[in-house]
Amino acid sequence: MWPVLALHLALTPPVDFEREIAPLFAAKCLACHGPNKQRSGFRLDVRSIALEGGEYSAPNIRPGDADASPLAHYIADADHDMAMPPKSGRTGARMTAEEVALIRRWIDEGAVWPDSASVAVADQRDWWSLEPIARPEVPGGGSNPIDGFVRARLQAAGLAMAPEADARTLCRRVYFDLTGLPPTPEEVDAFVADEDPAKYARLVDRLLASPRYGERWARHWLDVVHYADTHGYDKDKPREHAWPYRDYVIRALNADTPYPRFVQEQIAGDALFPGTRDGVEALGFIAAGPWDFIGHEEVPEEKIDGQFARHFDRDDMVGNALGTFASTTVQCAQCHDHKFDPIPQEDYYALQSVFAAVDRADKRFDPAPEVAAERSALGDLRTRLVEERRALDAAFAAAAGAELAGIDAGIARAERSGAAPEFGYHSEIAMDAAAAKWVQVDLGASHAFNTVVLLPCRDDYNGIGDGFGFPMEFRVESSDDAEFTRDVVTLARGTDAMLGTPRTAPVAIDTPGAMARFVRVTATTLAPRSGDFIFALAELQVIDAAARNLAEGQPVASLDSIEMGERWRRTNLTDGIAPALAAAPGGIDGLRARRDELRRRTETESTAQRRGEIERELAQAESAIAALPPQQTVYAGTVHTGAGAFRGTGANGGRPREIRVLARGQVTAPGAVVQPAALSVLDPLLPSRFELAADAPESARRTALAQWLTDPRNPLPWRSIVNRVWHYHFGRGIVDTPNDFGRMGGAPSHPELLDWLAATFRDDMGGSLKSLHRLIVTSAAYRQRADHADPVAESQDRDNRLLWRANARKLEAEALRDAVLAVSGSLDLSMGGPGYRDFVIEQPEHSPHYRYDLADPGDASTFRRSVYRFIVRSQMQPFMTALDCADPSQRVDRRNQSLSPNQALAYLNNGFMLTQAARFAERVRREAGDDAGAQAAHALRLALGRAATDDERVRLVDFTRTHGLENTCRVILNLNEFTFVD
Amino acid sequence: MRNDSPFHRMTAPRALSRRDFLWQTGGGLGGVALASMLGRDAFALADDALAPAMPAVAPKAKRVVQLFMSGAASHLDLFDFKPDLIRYDGKPSDFGEKVEAFQDGLGPWLRPVWDFKPYGQCGKMLGETVAELGAHVDDIAFIHNVTSRSGVHSTATMLASTGFQLPGFPGAGCWVSYGLGSMNENLPTFVVLPDHRGMPSNGVKNWDSAFLPNQHSGTVIYPGAESPMADLHPHAAGRFVREASERDAQELLAHLNRTHAEARPDDARLDARIRSYELAARMQLSAPEAVDMKAEPEHVLRLYGLDRNPETWDKDINDTEESYVFAQKCLTARRLLERGVRFVQVWSGNDNSFPRRNWDSHEDIRRDHGPLSRGMARGAAALIADLKQRGMLEDTLVIWTTEFGRMPSSQSGKGRDHNPFVYTNWMCGGGIRGGVTHGESDQWGYKPLDRRNPTTTYDIHATMLHLLGIDHTKLTWRHNGADRRLTDVHGHVIAPIVA
Repeated sequence: MWPVLALHLALTPPVDFEREIAPLFAAKCLACHGPNKQRSGFRLDVRSIALEGGEYSAPNIRPGDADASPLAHYIADADHDMAMPPKSGRTGARMTAEEVALIRRWIDEGAVWPDSASVAVADQRDWWSLEPIARPEVPGGGSNPIDGFVRARLQAAGLAMAPEADARTLCRRVYFDLTGLPPTPEEVDAFVADEDPAKYARLVDRLLASPRYGERWARHWLDVVHYADTHGYDKDKPREHAWPYRDYVIRALNADTPYPRFVQEQIAGDALFPGTRDGVEALGFIAAGPWDFIGHEEVPEEKIDGQFARHFDRDDMVGNALGTFASTTVQCAQCHDHKFDPIPQEDYYALQSVFAAVDRADKRFDPAPEVAAERSALGDLRTRLVEERRALDAAFAAAAGAELAGIDAGIARAERSGAAPEFGYHSEIAMDAAAAKWVQVDLGASHAFNTVVLLPCRDDYNGIGDGFGFPMEFRVESSDDAEFTRDVVTLARGTDAMLGTPRTAPVAIDTPGAMARFVRVTATTLAPRSGDFIFALAELQVIDAAARNLAEGQPVASLDSIEMGERWRRTNLTDGIAPALAAAPGGIDGLRARRDELRRRTETESTAQRRGEIERELAQAESAIAALPPQQTVYAGTVHTGAGAFRGTGANGGRPREIRVLARGQVTAPGAVVQPAALSVLDPLLPSRFELAADAPESARRTALAQWLTDPRNPLPWRSIVNRVWHYHFGRGIVDTPNDFGRMGGAPSHPELLDWLAATFRDDMGGSLKSLHRLIVTSAAYRQRADHADPVAESQDRDNRLLWRANARKLEAEALRDAVLAVSGSLDLSMGGPGYRDFVIEQPEHSPHYRYDLADPGDASTFRRSVYRFIVRSQMQPFMTALDCADPSQRVDRRNQSLSPNQALAYLNNGFMLTQAARFAERVRREAGDDAGAQAAHALRLALGRAATDDERVRLVDFTRTHGLENTCRVILNLNEFTFVD
Repeated sequence: MRNDSPFHRMTAPRALSRRDFLWQTGGGLGGVALASMLGRDAFALADDALAPAMPAVAPKAKRVVQLFMSGAASHLDLFDFKPDLIRYDGKPSDFGEKVEAFQDGLGPWLRPVWDFKPYGQCGKMLGETVAELGAHVDDIAFIHNVTSRSGVHSTATMLASTGFQLPGFPGAGCWVSYGLGSMNENLPTFVVLPDHRGMPSNGVKNWDSAFLPNQHSGTVIYPGAESPMADLHPHAAGRFVREASERDAQELLAHLNRTHAEARPDDARLDARIRSYELAARMQLSAPEAVDMKAEPEHVLRLYGLDRNPETWDKDINDTEESYVFAQKCLTARRLLERGVRFVQVWSGNDNSFPRRNWDSHEDIRRDHGPLSRGMARGAAALIADLKQRGMLEDTLVIWTTEFGRMPSSQSGKGRDHNPFVYTNWMCGGGIRGGVTHGESDQWGYKPLDRRNPTTTYDIHATMLHLLGIDHTKLTWRHNGADRRLTDVHGHVIAPIVA
């Protein structure tokens, strides 16, 4: 033992700078201390500077003495002020203890740095997915080029493909794969019996032409774009108009929309394909992900939390666009430059800038282009007429002067009072009517006044309506003391009998000779509400001899107040808004009459005549617009015009928000303004900077990104989509991380095949996904047996990366559920429209509770294909979740495949499965009659597409006789063979 | 394996058979979860399932119970005593800087609604409504300088429950389940006991497994409900299922599945699925027993205040209801922990609505926090006492948390607005140093006293994992290009509170 160890020590060779140290410097240091940046004037790629330079502690390296070398301390001590690499640095990760020891040993050994040695940063752009797409030679012969590539890799490993699966297996496989549904037994039998050598190709064509194809593959797409029908987060509200995007995806896939157009429609369809339904509904892509309702609706953009909400909202849009179409993890560059891939932080914010004008909101549109054109023309006419009328109004205003201004102000105030939500002051709720409550106004100084007017509220709570909250008994007092501890004068006492008709009419109290700074109303007996008591008042006026309201806009104090938003708050008591002010006699109608009279006096006859014409033409235009077919709505990425905290950019004409680089991703640390752009990594081959005019509309930014993402020179999108399609056909992509083609992702198992597919799809297939499917599923690689044993292959490539057999697939949640419905004879194939809801919503007004447990699993409206499920983000469907359905809060490129007791329990006991087991039994009885043997055989044939074995038949018959056909059908739906497709 | 492998930075050689098995079950897509559920019997692993799969540090705790107060519990009225608020009660609030409050609730300073008194050897000051916790303060470490990144319930709740402000990340219990696996495969590894009125803000996004395999999701149990777990027993639509048919069905299913699997010997998923049905059958027996409180002796029920079962509650939030339902969840939690559940999350408070049914007391602290905090203290104190008397407290970590705190200024006179700048967490048992207070808030309880060194949720999570024997930087899962962890890129173990 000892001699060996000693020998080992003696033989430890000196540290090799070039082999051991230089790569470490390159990986951990050169980003800041290299050719591009020389922080603190120090660099570690040039020997002389490394050994002698630096601003703070030079020399940083003292050959022969690591302890005396500052560098050794910076890299070793995480708590050092100069700890290197810094946490916030580009490379981030600190050196390991072994690496530190190695560098120390190198210094102790004299910091040997040969003249010939070079330290170079690895070129981050040198990465397979960023290389231009090659079009490699197809190896070997064969009818399907895919097989040439697959066989070449297998041969190189000394392996071979498995034989082709039998017709029955292949039929079932390709049905599930292309349509997500099992074939009927008749379809299987017909296919098996067919002797046409081209029968498989014909079957593939038929399945690709089926509308079921689009439904199946849309579900895959919706996983990737994280589509759902609710917002997520808190108060997870339904999106009633999300489904048109889902239907768009199904329609586009069934129509085999060329992939570049499919991409462009989803990013900028409104601008690139104006007047088309697809061009608008596709924008649901931008809005597909979660939305923070409270962060937008309750927190304005001025607040930090509001800024974060909008920042994260754009972050989701950027992640969705680049992740889906370019398989790039650009979001990693939110806080700092991407740690692994060549994406500077500026790029990330440039991409945020692309979406800086849009929000997620309902977008209205005309699906028929001619209607859109007519609506647009009518809208233009209306705008012209309104403009002309405005010009006349301006002339009238100039001529009529101050009198008109006074009248208009009065009208505006009266109108506000009618519909405004600013009800008034509302006390806290008391359980006892005798709990006195008071509210008072501060006139600012002691004033004389003659009248105090109380204006009652209106609120439909508990059907109360007019006079809501007006006290049963009250008193009015004045004082110069805010606390009403001295000099209190009681001006009046009253009861609710003083309420007039309507009960919102002003209650005026004469107070001759009164003079005070504060006027207080105390409710001594509160108004009943619903088993409790309150005091509410819309307005308190204090009128002086000149009929001025001294209280208007003055501060209000009260014993308590519920302070609920703008609806009920103290300040409402003196805001000039009350039901009575809108409806007062001679109120708004009187004012309007005075206005008309003034105009007649001011305007010429010809002007008055033109006015009449304008009104008539406007009315015609309005009724023509009203007669157009109703517009449709899609929840999409759009310029939003809203009120309250969620205003959007509509009021600014859709001008994009200013986007700045945020240090560490913090909105509180904004840096330089960025311009919209794509990823710089492909410069100069494919320029990232957009050439946009200064006054270009916001959609020009999205258009530019859409064009960048579909440019034939861009290698990412083409590789990305062919790999996704491959992934769903084989259960694993050529790159097994379809959302990440960067250094944290997987490497392609068949790089030449990937490039050949990408080039062929782009150049020869015109981006036709159906052509790509056809090529893949007709390959021998796809048609291999799954249940094939090959011990040699097993030992070399257990994972089957080289495709020496087919992978048996576990049906995804949707395919399993759809198969159950198909087998039980329940499947409703109606397409499109709002999703089915397999839950009951409780408390929809505030935070909806989605209760799946309260829904009836026998509700036939839910027997549609699973792609039409109304997808809730915050309360994921428990059955589908147990079966690993996609979580719509994240972009899912691969489904999890779990096998767990809770999944088994869902299969066995969920209301859906049991309902369908019973319906399945009903169907079998109907179709196979009463004989238990015939029933067992038919049930098995329906579910598995094959005849029962003798053993199965005997056991199923025996079981049916003891426990009934429903239980037999339940067992069949739980079979491994039903869930795993060979 | 590289891509989705758990602990891929620290993978040590393991039995080949197991690694192959994981491959076949979806290449890590379902891998470790399955291993933790099925691993022991199927593969007779050498490593004891009671020990962490890959201990990074010596574990002090084996299990966790987290008490989560939804809606933001006030530190100022319960745990973090601020005499200056009494001195300046009613005076205009002055924070010395511009404050951005969620609903602009910056009224006058508001004194603690309840009086404080000292408890225990350490003399910890507690508010009157949580006095029952006074008996345990010498076992508790209080952290008064926790700070959040958001003042919005949904995002702050997710930050506290998953470590991220955005939906789509696994809950803390999922990570623990993933990291440590099961101690009793007949029960779920991670159980969630929601408020009896419904889900908190974000619903299941606080505890679902997101990108981790589904079996690490929190399993929701409603104590006292007819069926405590979803799908544990056949839905009413399956009246044809009987005890005898169920027995025979399991047997028939296993036979047919085995025959099918024999023809496909290389596909380990088939055997795994057969096993999952056997475990499901065992879970059907274990789960109801685990939550059946009738089995508890009288003195234990009395400890939790569950010896009398009120028939009905008042419509409004009230002491009786809060005490009963919270204690019921605490006792259920203890039974589950005792039977090997790794992580139990107990919620107090529903999502936001009117009238208030959670801790979001904008209008009136006394009205909502009174019943909620008395109920919480009753249940939590009983739980700690019960764990202690069973010798379980030493390896059971109790974490009390909420999404943020409340402002020292008043809102509408008697309420308090959100305070994401500072709030309180406390931890107890499972390797925690008791009787200590770590991190102070400032004189008002507005921000951390030392603003440069607050405690974050990341630190709480890092400390929790540390006590469980896991280095929080090493428990990762690669997802969409990043090695995700519970603590994002942050987190430090709070050494002073570790025993």
